Amino acid sequence: MWIDVAQTVFDGLMVGGLYATVAVGITLVFGIMGVLNFAHGQMVMLGAYVAFFAVTAGLGFWVGLLLAMAAMGLFGLILERLIFRHTLTDHMTGLTVSLGIIMVVENLAAAVFTPDHRNFDPPLSGSVQLLGITLSAQRLLVLVLVMGLVGAFYLFLQKTSFGKAIRATGQNRTGAALVGVQITQITALVFVLGSAMAGAAGALYGSLFAITPYMASGPLMKGFILTVLGGLGSVPGAVLAGFLLGLAESFGSRYFSAAFNDGYGFILMIITLLFFPTGLFGVRGKARV
Amino acid sequence: MSNRHLGRVARFAVLATAGFVVATPAGADVLKIGMVNSLTGPHSSFDLPASEGAEMAFDELNKRGGITVKGKKYTFSVVSEDAQSKPEFAVSGAQRLLRDDDIKIVFGILTSGPGVPAATLFAKNDILYFGGFTLMDTLLGKPGFDLAFRTLDADAVVAKSFIPVGVKQLGVKKVGILLPNEDVSRSIVAVYKPLLEQAGIAVPMVEYFQPDTSDFGPVLRKFQNQEMDGLLTGTNDAVVEAIVRQSTELGGLPKKFLYRGGSGAPGIKYAKQIDSFIWQILTRDLEHGDDPKVAEWVQRYKTFTHKDTSPNTYWGLTFYDTVFMMAKAMEEVGSVTDLKAIAAKIKSMKYDGVRLMRYDNDGRANSDIDIGILTDGKISSVRASPE
Repeated sequence: MWIDVAQTVFDGLMVGGLYATVAVGITLVFGIMGVLNFAHGQMVMLGAYVAFFAVTAGLGFWVGLLLAMAAMGLFGLILERLIFRHTLTDHMTGLTVSLGIIMVVENLAAAVFTPDHRNFDPPLSGSVQLLGITLSAQRLLVLVLVMGLVGAFYLFLQKTSFGKAIRATGQNRTGAALVGVQITQITALVFVLGSAMAGAAGALYGSLFAITPYMASGPLMKGFILTVLGGLGSVPGAVLAGFLLGLAESFGSRYFSAAFNDGYGFILMIITLLFFPTGLFGVRGKARV
Repeated sequence: MSNRHLGRVARFAVLATAGFVVATPAGADVLKIGMVNSLTGPHSSFDLPASEGAEMAFDELNKRGGITVKGKKYTFSVVSEDAQSKPEFAVSGAQRLLRDDDIKIVFGILTSGPGVPAATLFAKNDILYFGGFTLMDTLLGKPGFDLAFRTLDADAVVAKSFIPVGVKQLGVKKVGILLPNEDVSRSIVAVYKPLLEQAGIAVPMVEYFQPDTSDFGPVLRKFQNQEMDGLLTGTNDAVVEAIVRQSTELGGLPKKFLYRGGSGAPGIKYAKQIDSFIWQILTRDLEHGDDPKVAEWVQRYKTFTHKDTSPNTYWGLTFYDTVFMMAKAMEEVGSVTDLKAIAAKIKSMKYDGVRLMRYDNDGRANSDIDIGILTDGKISSVRASPE
């Protein structure tokens, strides 16, 4: 019995870590720029495709992962410079524009890549035995990598001058500007970082699951649940919420019905918001990065 | 430019957008045939080859000079609509076909989601309709569906040969069932579970997953370490490939798979990690069989489509023989417009084409199928008759 529970916990942490990697980008952009970027999910999808083409070209998974992060970081920078920078004073416009970007990117991807499902061979295959628990080797690797990514991201925010500048901007944009923080640079950096995280999530996602042009909606929907669940603008909240959501889905599917998989996340969100109306780490009126 | 020439140019444009041009010799009256298929989207792996096969059949008929009904020559032209794998687009495509008063016969759709609303619309408009989707079996025989045919065997017919072959080839004793949470899955369980149990196979677990699931880990864990040696799953290649792949990654899961639907591709890809994989080829095995009729059809397909075959090309035979049955029925009843007589004639026929085709009084196909088998890394197929 405990082995079964442990395996279910492991599955939940793994998939929750993927969700958290996506949610971090969404909540960071919202916290700093006030923009709910619906196109974030497309970066997960494009990141998966970058990794797929890198692996099938013989470059290997690790190069594919780095390329996915770099490519999506660049894509995020382009979007910020060309589009979202001009919607900072009108968040509704930013939201609407991001919806349009979804349509464009998804249909372009379907036209260029075709709707066929794609898979690439992950760096690890088969299963491993750990304390009597049978774990998928690649899922274990993904869990380690998402923990590493989220941990590195947290340390970046806490320990580096850029990270401090991001946090300062999230707390008070005017105050941050007054103390010399270059706000335009910070918003660009936030988009780059968030998009790179989405690219990483896409590459990791693609190492486990099928890649299609339509795969963005799942991670995006989960990402927004986590953003609300964790507290709008709270990165630690998004991370914790991600793992909680993964565990909820894993235990729900394992011990109740797998046909209701998406519903467990919404139940978790409703219950949490009843007790924590602004989310787990949310503070009314402030962004906590 | 004369009206007749304009009509030909317009017809060419429509057919060209469907991807292929069906030869239409001059001097004969042209019968318009409607087709609605999921040419794009996730169901296109089934529908696209099916539409190609149907167009190929009409092209072959036309190249022979068409049909002669009461001394008058007729050829066929095809008007194609894309259902885009979605019910709403299947309906709008069907409505566009229905707006053309010359279209009274329609072929198309192999999946139940888009198929059910389209078939219902065609039935209401007295269209002679040939479909392939599973839930069509629940419509056939009902009032208003006298002109409807399902050109693929029902699960109830397929399972009668699939299960005995599967049990014998795989040597399974205890099987779990894992299917998407859809209406079609419930009908699959209702058919296959009793047959497995009649064959002496224990079926201790039936699980349904959310249709857009990508992470099968939690639901596969339910089957882990349950001493099951087989898993019956479906219903399309992408889903089954994910299930097979993830079950090999998780460990402690059955390594013998019975696949209801699709092609052998999911199992063949992971042949080294699994013990065996058996799948239904509802038409003909194009790759591993030794039927000369099939080999000739494959060559003609490649010539017509300018494409090589893929694991899903066998769906190209879904409507192929039925097109010729329809043409022969028209000639024998002496009418191209008396749809009831044409339908009745088709139901009375036994047609030995690439497939051996028969229909019952409700329009259900009763044809033999091929069953693909992957065991110990080797691929083969057997032909199974419903008798």
